[in-house]
Amino acid sequence: MLEIDNIHVNYGRLQALRGVSITVAEGEVVCLVGPNGAGKSTTLAAIAGGVTPHTGSIKLQGRGLVGMPPEAISRLGVSLVPEGRHVFATLTVAENLRIGSFQRRDRGGAAADFERILGHFPRLRERLQQPAGQLSGGEQQMLVIGRALMTRPRLVMVDEPSLGLAPMIVDQVYDILLSLRRSDGLTLLINEQSSKRVLKFADRIYVLRGGRIQLHDRASNLQDGKAIMEAYFGFGEQPTPATGPAALGGVAE
Amino acid sequence: MNDGRLMLFAREWWPVVSLGLALVLIVAVVGQLGGDQTRVTLTEMLIRMVVVIATYLFIGNSGILSFGHVGFMCIGAYAAGWATCNPAWKQLMLTGLPVFLREEEYPFLLAVAGGGALAAVVALIVGFAIMRLSGIAASIATFALLAIVNSVYSNWDSVTAGTSSIIGIPQVVGPWEALAFVLLSMVVAFVFQKSRYGLMLKASRDDEVAAKASAVDIVKVRLIAFVASAFLVGMGGALYGHFLGVLTVDIFYMGLTFITLSMLVVGGIGSLFGAVVGVLAVTLVVEVLRAFEAGITIGGSKIALPQGAQEIGLGVIMVLILLFRPAGLTRSREVPWPFVRRGAKPAGDAAEQAQPAE
Amino acid sequence: MIGFLQNLIDALSLGSLYALAGLGIGLLFGILRLTNFAHGDFITFGAYALIVPSVDVMATKFIGGWPWFLMLPVVAALVVVLALLSDLLVFRKLRQASAPTLMIASFALGYIIQNTILMVYGARPKAIDMWSNLQQQVTIGELRVPQLQLVTIGVTVLLMVGLSLFLGRTAYGVQMRAAAEDFRMARYLGIRANFVIGLAFAISGVLAAMTALLFVSQTGTLSHMMGVPLMLFAFIATVIGGMGSLVGAVVGGFAVGFVSVMLQAYLPEDLRSFRDAFVFTVVIVVLLFRPAGLIRAKALVQRV
Repeated sequence: MLEIDNIHVNYGRLQALRGVSITVAEGEVVCLVGPNGAGKSTTLAAIAGGVTPHTGSIKLQGRGLVGMPPEAISRLGVSLVPEGRHVFATLTVAENLRIGSFQRRDRGGAAADFERILGHFPRLRERLQQPAGQLSGGEQQMLVIGRALMTRPRLVMVDEPSLGLAPMIVDQVYDILLSLRRSDGLTLLINEQSSKRVLKFADRIYVLRGGRIQLHDRASNLQDGKAIMEAYFGFGEQPTPATGPAALGGVAE
Repeated sequence: MNDGRLMLFAREWWPVVSLGLALVLIVAVVGQLGGDQTRVTLTEMLIRMVVVIATYLFIGNSGILSFGHVGFMCIGAYAAGWATCNPAWKQLMLTGLPVFLREEEYPFLLAVAGGGALAAVVALIVGFAIMRLSGIAASIATFALLAIVNSVYSNWDSVTAGTSSIIGIPQVVGPWEALAFVLLSMVVAFVFQKSRYGLMLKASRDDEVAAKASAVDIVKVRLIAFVASAFLVGMGGALYGHFLGVLTVDIFYMGLTFITLSMLVVGGIGSLFGAVVGVLAVTLVVEVLRAFEAGITIGGSKIALPQGAQEIGLGVIMVLILLFRPAGLTRSREVPWPFVRRGAKPAGDAAEQAQPAE
Repeated sequence: MIGFLQNLIDALSLGSLYALAGLGIGLLFGILRLTNFAHGDFITFGAYALIVPSVDVMATKFIGGWPWFLMLPVVAALVVVLALLSDLLVFRKLRQASAPTLMIASFALGYIIQNTILMVYGARPKAIDMWSNLQQQVTIGELRVPQLQLVTIGVTVLLMVGLSLFLGRTAYGVQMRAAAEDFRMARYLGIRANFVIGLAFAISGVLAAMTALLFVSQTGTLSHMMGVPLMLFAFIATVIGGMGSLVGAVVGGFAVGFVSVMLQAYLPEDLRSFRDAFVFTVVIVVLLFRPAGLIRAKALVQRV
């Protein structure tokens, strides 16, 4: 369904992604794992249109996404829940949810989805008219996922859903994501720092470090966690000059 | 060893020296070849250059846009005018002036310094409040400052002759006098940007949070730049008064603000080279447009642009530069060192090379 | 007491103008982080749209002579076109530009508009008779108030309520508020950036047009620089009120109007011509104690 082929993304002179290729089949749960700064967020941002790769291609069911504005990509059924939740704090919970549905043409479908999503997240129903900024971290996470779902996406990308949340809440979040995947036929692409969680939930796993894919396999093959750890931390690998500080222009280590 | 240190010294001061030499050359050549009108245009350009360089000192280093520097020009101009203007006239027309100004006549240089000093004092007082504000609010506040100066000076009849003019200011400023002050302001601006205050200010421009974390007192550093800038601008205003011979308040308002800002933006807001080049470039463009406004005969027919084409043309050029070359003609870089270096690179160069292009 | 109430109405009337102008500015700032120094010149444009292009001192009304239900929408439409063109030609390409660049760009745009008006209409201020019948006074209890002031206050309240309803109740309004808060996130959710921005410019244009009509009715004069003091005071209002907050812009506008009128009324005679300088000084003093404005706006401070 989603094919990323050899994309390179730069922020100024900083090379964030150096030739990343990822595929996601319909209905799958694919996880990107890796340390901070590995390029996981950049990958999701590139798919959603927030940054533009200068080489490589991104195709959604054969249709090229590179160069399209984010709002157009969203209309194609790709929904990004960025890191840090990003609720519209001054808007009410209800307004936050509705934002996602304005681009849809089916008024009736949007209203039905609204009810359905509130069914998944009953805590939100209690707080419908409150400004979203007043919600707790876990509630906000539910809200942004629900908001993303209101766009009736086919591919949902979540960037670090566990960040800043208590483990119990994170479990809830993942449970809901997985059940939605079943009920709504969603495809999920999730960034995670915790390889343990990823091993539990993913179908396939990509390990990113230094802007490159270091490892890619089915989760079932990686259950002992050793391969992931090595790829995550780069054991037994020579640091390439391109990843070091020299790439940033000459500040001596 | 002497050779090496000389080279380093030359390399360090090259941005200023090169510009200074170039300007001396220009003034010498144009002053000789051109007629009276050219000399007048040249002098006005050089006076504006003082103001633009001084404005760059603040804006380029702090990253805060100031719309108020022409207000300091006004303050400096009037202060100097009060000092050198004919006492007999002053006692008649400017009854509100303090005695030491009203009844005396002071030498030119003292007057210019006084003009700069008064502007600096005002900058110190006002800057104390303004420099605490965020960039955008500070810029708006400087706009308000311009309006305040305009309002006060327009209405304080007993001291400024209000909306009529102060006349009889000795016209002692020609191209070479103006050039002297240009060179002075270039040196001051250059010394500042290389000093620790300049570095601290640039750090705060690029990343305010990091600068604060490094114990940079942002308000103090901004204030220093603001006051230094105002001092030079004030002197520029004093020069202007002694060039025109006449002073009215309304010349120090929107038009002059726009032209000086456009000079800085066109040249490159982040470098001394940009300030100088901008003044040269915009003066050239304005003169060409002015000639077209007067009417040029090409072939047998006369082509004339309507009145106001100058201003609109300049505005359009500003917008085009912002759209396509926002760092200005010089890309906000200083004059490059033209000689190829051989041998090992000293430590200072690596740091210079690592600077990201702005 | 009566004098004070009279002054209060004056203050509300003047404050309304500043509040309207401040709203126009605050809207664009909230969504685009654009300080639109050309807003005053949008207002000037709206005012000059009323008359026939000419350099005469006595202005000949053209659109200005039409009945109000035709004139209002037409003038508004003209200013909206100007605003949208500004976005299309100048600001669209500067979406990612820094705040100083945007400031200079809007300053340059304003300069161009000002000088074009100057070129077409001449430098001499013109007299214009707009709704001068509204100068008649109305008696409320012991107060004698010019109708025009009441109309100004009324129209402003109407516009503010309308804007408030628009932003609060309509789909477009919610989209605009979302975009103002987190533009990038809004785009990720499918909100069309250029549409929302165009909407903001259009509303700003309508506000500018209304400000122009009210201002011209009050002063009876047109000059190519008439927008400058309005723009300045409107910006001061937004800075005092708290940049990025529409409520702040309105509060700031009325505050500035209040201070201005009170100073005008109670300053000693010989200091009155310095009233504006005093207003600005009061503003600077306020900013000394509350640099972020009277009403704390959301998250404009960089979070570490």
